Amino acid sequence: MDRIVAFNPKSVRTAKSRLGVMLSRPIILLLNVIAIGLLFSGLGLLVLSNMPVGWLLIGLCAIPIMISEWHRGELKSPKSIEGTVDGLLAGDILGSLDKNPTPKDIAVAAVKAQGGIFFANRFGITRGFLDNITTDQPTDSEAIWQSALVVRKESGSEFISGAVLVVAIIDSFSDRDSLLAHMKLDRTDLLSGIGWYEHVRMLINKSKRPLRTGGIARDFAFGYIPLLKRFGQNLSENVGRGTQIELEAHQKALDQLIDSFGGGGSQNAALIGAAGVGKTTIVQAFAQRLMDAEAKVPSSLKFRQVFMLDSASLISAAPGRGELEKLILQVLGEAQRAKNIIICLDNAQMFFEEDIGSVDLSNVLLPILESDSLRIILTMDEQRFLQIGQRNAALINALNRINIAPASHEETLVVMQDQLLYVEFKRHVTVMYQALAEAYRLSERYIHDLEMPGRAFKLLESAAGFAENGFVTGNSVQQAIEQTVGVKIGVAKGEEERDTLLNLEDLIHERMINQTRAVQVVSDALRRARAGVRNENRPIGTFLFLGPTGVGKTELSKALGEVYFGGEDRMIRLDMNEYVRSEDVARLIADGADDPNSLTARAMKQPFSVVLLDEIEKAHPQVLTTLLQLLDEGILRDIKNREVSFRDSIVIATSNAGADRIREYIQRGYKMKDFEKQFTDELISSNQFKPEFLNRFDEIVIFRPLNKPELLQVVDLILAGINKQMALQKISINVADDAKEFLVEKGYDPRLGARPMRRVVQRAVENLVAKQMLGGEVQPGTVIDITIEQVKSILNDGEDVS
Amino acid sequence: MVMLLITSLFRWWYSDGFSERLQITSVRLESMIDYFSFSLLLKTLFSPYRQISAGNVDGSLEVKMRASLDRLFSRVIGAVIRLIIMTVGAFVAGVLVLYSVVGIIVWGLLPFLPIVGVAAMMMGWTPGWIE
Repeated sequence: MDRIVAFNPKSVRTAKSRLGVMLSRPIILLLNVIAIGLLFSGLGLLVLSNMPVGWLLIGLCAIPIMISEWHRGELKSPKSIEGTVDGLLAGDILGSLDKNPTPKDIAVAAVKAQGGIFFANRFGITRGFLDNITTDQPTDSEAIWQSALVVRKESGSEFISGAVLVVAIIDSFSDRDSLLAHMKLDRTDLLSGIGWYEHVRMLINKSKRPLRTGGIARDFAFGYIPLLKRFGQNLSENVGRGTQIELEAHQKALDQLIDSFGGGGSQNAALIGAAGVGKTTIVQAFAQRLMDAEAKVPSSLKFRQVFMLDSASLISAAPGRGELEKLILQVLGEAQRAKNIIICLDNAQMFFEEDIGSVDLSNVLLPILESDSLRIILTMDEQRFLQIGQRNAALINALNRINIAPASHEETLVVMQDQLLYVEFKRHVTVMYQALAEAYRLSERYIHDLEMPGRAFKLLESAAGFAENGFVTGNSVQQAIEQTVGVKIGVAKGEEERDTLLNLEDLIHERMINQTRAVQVVSDALRRARAGVRNENRPIGTFLFLGPTGVGKTELSKALGEVYFGGEDRMIRLDMNEYVRSEDVARLIADGADDPNSLTARAMKQPFSVVLLDEIEKAHPQVLTTLLQLLDEGILRDIKNREVSFRDSIVIATSNAGADRIREYIQRGYKMKDFEKQFTDELISSNQFKPEFLNRFDEIVIFRPLNKPELLQVVDLILAGINKQMALQKISINVADDAKEFLVEKGYDPRLGARPMRRVVQRAVENLVAKQMLGGEVQPGTVIDITIEQVKSILNDGEDVS
Repeated sequence: MVMLLITSLFRWWYSDGFSERLQITSVRLESMIDYFSFSLLLKTLFSPYRQISAGNVDGSLEVKMRASLDRLFSRVIGAVIRLIIMTVGAFVAGVLVLYSVVGIIVWGLLPFLPIVGVAAMMMGWTPGWIE
């Protein structure tokens, strides 16, 4: 525990800091001008006027020079002294504090300091924010100092910087956690922010000291490389000029790479890892390390240059058969003769393709790899590496494999913090911490073609296009993912969406009749999801709809798709009678490149959707087993072992299993809630479904057959649809009640439910209207009254014909 | 407090300030040595320049002799170029060392300059050649 030490406003360090703050940039400039003025005036007086007073002026010019140097070397940032608050406070803060500062004074000093500005920009913790949580009582300052000492120790900072002080002020606020929760932050985030601030300072200081890269005679002893310059990119060329690459993840892989080439073994390395893990960055960091005169690398690697071959320019320069192999041999021969070249084949799988029109350099590269006559690095995707291994085991055996795993959460955040500097410079935006955290979270869930850290950074780059007042926020990241993937993130905010959610049942019932329980359970699930109170690690809802044909099971899924998900096409529909063999599992999880209609491919493209598994009872048990994880965790692995998320889907399975039993129960006068449990047990005992499958659903809903009044409502719905179509021609229809009853009689089939109803109504009404229109009996603006006789005549005609 | 600050200035000037000056000088010299690649030039003084005519040659004795002569010529050219660069580098290094030494001496004497100025003024001496 730190000893409580009061802030000492009279210490020498405090005085120095105050002087440092007082000597602002204009004053320092003025001092330099005075020094030059005194020097030249003195010389002028001596030389031109022969006046000894010139000596005095020359002598006095030393004073402003010394003050200016002192300011640069010490006053701006006095060394820290352990044990006291004023000994540890950063100079810019210490210098701007009064003798007896209040918490508000401390907050003002903190937000004006560099660390405070950093926190205002990156976390949105501004002066106004701190002003609201601080008091005017000098006696309250002691708690902040005490807290600052603790935060400094936790964060490992050298000073109590503006960043440390901001966190200390928040720490000393009684309701800290809920305060931070409003900003979607917690204390760990704030500590991580201090780490970020210190890291940026370290990068700035490092960039001030340029690398020493061997000098003008570095390459005298090595050969000319005109071909390589034409067909490759020299990664070592720009080392020491621009910003240095910081390898935040995979430091171990870099050491392994150096060991591979520095030792006496095979002089090659294959970096194997998924796209986005940072294989190319490792090669760039390797090139930088070799060029750094101060880096500890074996002398045989010092100042060696890394060239990345450009496959596109090589292929375009050698279009003829066999020409490419010849050209590659020339390029590699040149690299070999130059004696200081390490070749990198990025995405090396492109050089080992077997298909027609592609390139296979195995025969060219294998002798070179086996003889160790040239240092080569290959970067490759794991899957392709294994595929090449199947075809050419000797090639794989000749390579030193270095596995590159995806970066961890912490590593990814630091990589993004480094990389976002380029994004900010290019797009003129400031990226906030909340955006980094959100980019990690959402990219992990929705971006499947890349691995961390590339995946999170890709999303962050997209989010720059959704900056709000120049700031890329968590909301910008959500918008980016909503636009690119089409999901809805977070809590419903828009008035329109909230209205839809609150009136979901009514909206669904505009296109389907009854089945109120089913409508309610899906509506509730959706409302829970959009209010942010659901389990994020499962689908929005999983439902099994049981019941006879034509009672609205599929219709409910379609209605949901249209009302909430933005159209019936937002429904991923799978007829499970197409998955009756165990081999069909492969079709279910096929790669999108091979089968764009597989379940996983469609969910990848459209994660926010209704997934309808129609006639689930017909699927093969193996298929059902595959679906268990989807229902349970909202995850399904595709054939490439990529995790595909269904956590933004509503999964609805429908089944006719036991339809006759449902009819029987209803006919015997049972109410649904009375026989639901018994019916489910019957499904299990009759081996139609396994209990572990049924248990995976949030709700099992039984749809009952529609009765006559409901069927009349179905007719009304169909007629409303027909009227909607007719509205284009300014015509409407009005069907008599007895005619509707006749339509119900004709359209209802106990086996097919209300399914034939639409066909019957359309045939009767549309044919009638068509005849009247062609006969010139109907004009725009007319209401056509349809009687039972007309309907009978049309339907009976149809029956006669058929 | 003013006296305390003045004392602090002098203390810094001859301690941390002075060592910082030495460090700046050292970094400058190291950069210069790196720029002229002295150690590399020495290590590779007789290596074939740009690997021209380097490597083994198969063929008749005459071809081998010619290749050997070419290689010798390449090595001589390399050595000459390297020696020229080392000479130029040594001259630049000498100038830089001199400049650095003067800089350090001036740093050490600068605090005395006002006193020297006052003394010189009081003595009334001016450089004779001006007249």
